[in-house]
Amino acid sequence: MIMNRRSLLTTALTLGAMKAFPGLSYAQARPLVFATFTGSWEEAHKAVLVPAFRKANADAAMVLDPMLSVDQIAKVNAAKANPPIDVMLHDPGPALVAVGQDLVEPYPVEKSAYYKDLIAEAQEPMGPAPFFQVVGLTYNPEAVKTPPTSWADLWKPEFKGRVGITNLNSTLGTGWLVEIAKMRGGSEANVDPGFKALEELKPNLAAVAANPGALATLFQQGQIDISPGNFNAIQILKARGVPVEFVAPKEGAIAFKTTIHIVKNSPNRELAFKLIEAALTPEVQTTLMNPPYLIVPTNSKVMMGGEIARVLAKDTAELKKKFVFQDWKKINEQRSAWIERFNREIKI
Amino acid sequence: MGAAPAARDVTSYGMGLAAPLALFFLVFFVAPLLQLFWLSLHNDTAGLHWGLGQYLHFLTDPFSLGVLGSTLLLGAEVTAVCLVLGFPIAWLYQRVGPKLQTVIILIVLLPLLTSVVVRTFAWIVILGRQGIINATLQSLGLIDTPLKLLYTQFGVVIALAQVQMPLMTLPLITALGRIDPNLDDASCSLGAGSWRTFFRILLPLSLPGIIAGCTLTYAAAITAFITQSLIGGGQMLFMPMYLYQQASTLQNWPFAAAISIIFLLAVLAVVSVFTTLGRMSRGYGGA
Repeated sequence: MIMNRRSLLTTALTLGAMKAFPGLSYAQARPLVFATFTGSWEEAHKAVLVPAFRKANADAAMVLDPMLSVDQIAKVNAAKANPPIDVMLHDPGPALVAVGQDLVEPYPVEKSAYYKDLIAEAQEPMGPAPFFQVVGLTYNPEAVKTPPTSWADLWKPEFKGRVGITNLNSTLGTGWLVEIAKMRGGSEANVDPGFKALEELKPNLAAVAANPGALATLFQQGQIDISPGNFNAIQILKARGVPVEFVAPKEGAIAFKTTIHIVKNSPNRELAFKLIEAALTPEVQTTLMNPPYLIVPTNSKVMMGGEIARVLAKDTAELKKKFVFQDWKKINEQRSAWIERFNREIKI
Repeated sequence: MGAAPAARDVTSYGMGLAAPLALFFLVFFVAPLLQLFWLSLHNDTAGLHWGLGQYLHFLTDPFSLGVLGSTLLLGAEVTAVCLVLGFPIAWLYQRVGPKLQTVIILIVLLPLLTSVVVRTFAWIVILGRQGIINATLQSLGLIDTPLKLLYTQFGVVIALAQVQMPLMTLPLITALGRIDPNLDDASCSLGAGSWRTFFRILLPLSLPGIIAGCTLTYAAAITAFITQSLIGGGQMLFMPMYLYQQASTLQNWPFAAAISIIFLLAVLAVVSVFTTLGRMSRGYGGA
């Protein structure tokens, strides 16, 4: 490439102008960007949500840009005035961070046709929850003949060296520790009983996985027979022929709200709203509830069916009874101290 | 740097040609590094209050120092295993015909052609409870209950050694190739045994390759986030995972930045020991 003084000057001027008037570059012209999660989430959204949105909105252009919650937050934080993402998807912990850092807009609840149909726990004014993630007990039915019924079963002597857990980096690991603490008289503000229980669990622990995904591998390799696990992740394993089963413990399955948010200063605010509306419709949620996705719906108009009705809940009323929701605002306050404590105390 | 005047003439050609790369490094490496350093000098997560609090926290905390120590030790163990296993391969390469040489180079390079994630998963299959090692030992009747290999320090060292082996073998092959094979014969004809020839001739002359291989393997082993976390699990904490925890899960960027800077300095210290050894060996080899 030949670079003379003139072309260099033009380039410099263009770049300078784009810097001075950021609106010039691509505001409005950019398609709607939805940062979903990677893996099965991306597949489900590509196959169901995107077509539904485009059908309802005259084939509006949109792209999926799957990434982790933390990456979404970092990217929006780096360009608050002109964010590269219009719609974010978050687990409860990161959602609070995003709201706390003033990165999301309140959801226009009064304009929404579906918000009021969501079950009460899913109605979040800073961004509703179109899906739930559910954590219960996962076990290998070939090795564990009597299905477990309670979190307390993990401490049974027969599971010596057969239990897997994850560390507190994940929502699953942290949420589970809080639940164990609650079982022993603690709460979101006091997980001491949970750490004591972990200490007693050590003889049974075969592995502390670095992330929930690694737990799946451990089941496949016969390294563990029982662990806390994510309902959706287990369904994927099951579909691949791995002998695993999921049960909701009698203390209640831990439910995490996966919330969806309009990014502040998004140039595509209206389309972002439309996409979220599509995610809340009973049609999209019903399709996503059926195989192969098996995503737990939050719209009370959705009739529960299939595997979800069998292992989790037949209707919204039962769902409310069987699900436990946690106070992540409280959890976030002390989470870093817990992670530090876990780092120090849990060595097997 | 005794040969500075001569070296200067040679490098004066390259400076202009190196400018694009230098500029690239300046913009995409040095600048972010400075930003990282700037961030680490803050006491709060929002980055408003200046101070050395993050460094003090790390350097006065036995747990954090322990993580640093175990990471550096892990690197040393992996490097040692790679050297002991890699040297014979490199030596063999110089002593076989061209056909076998192609085979060896293919075997050495093969791991580089597959992704680290795939290689690491293979190790999970090998080291698992029902994995190849345990299954073989059990069928031979040597053990009753499966050994715990996955999620142990031993497992991490073995897996990392295999994953990083090419970084050791390739420089060694080059270094051994530069040694005149006649020296071997000369040493023998002067009455030295094979071991003496190895320690007095081969080893000193291959030192530059050993140092280069060790530096590469060491740096790669201690920063190998994927292999460390998949084989080591969630309770074996090394620096990359510690960093990830602080930056990603806890959003404590100043502390994460301080960890990075400390880690960087620790690695630079180890690498500079290697280079010093390398410089000394050059004098030795020339003498």
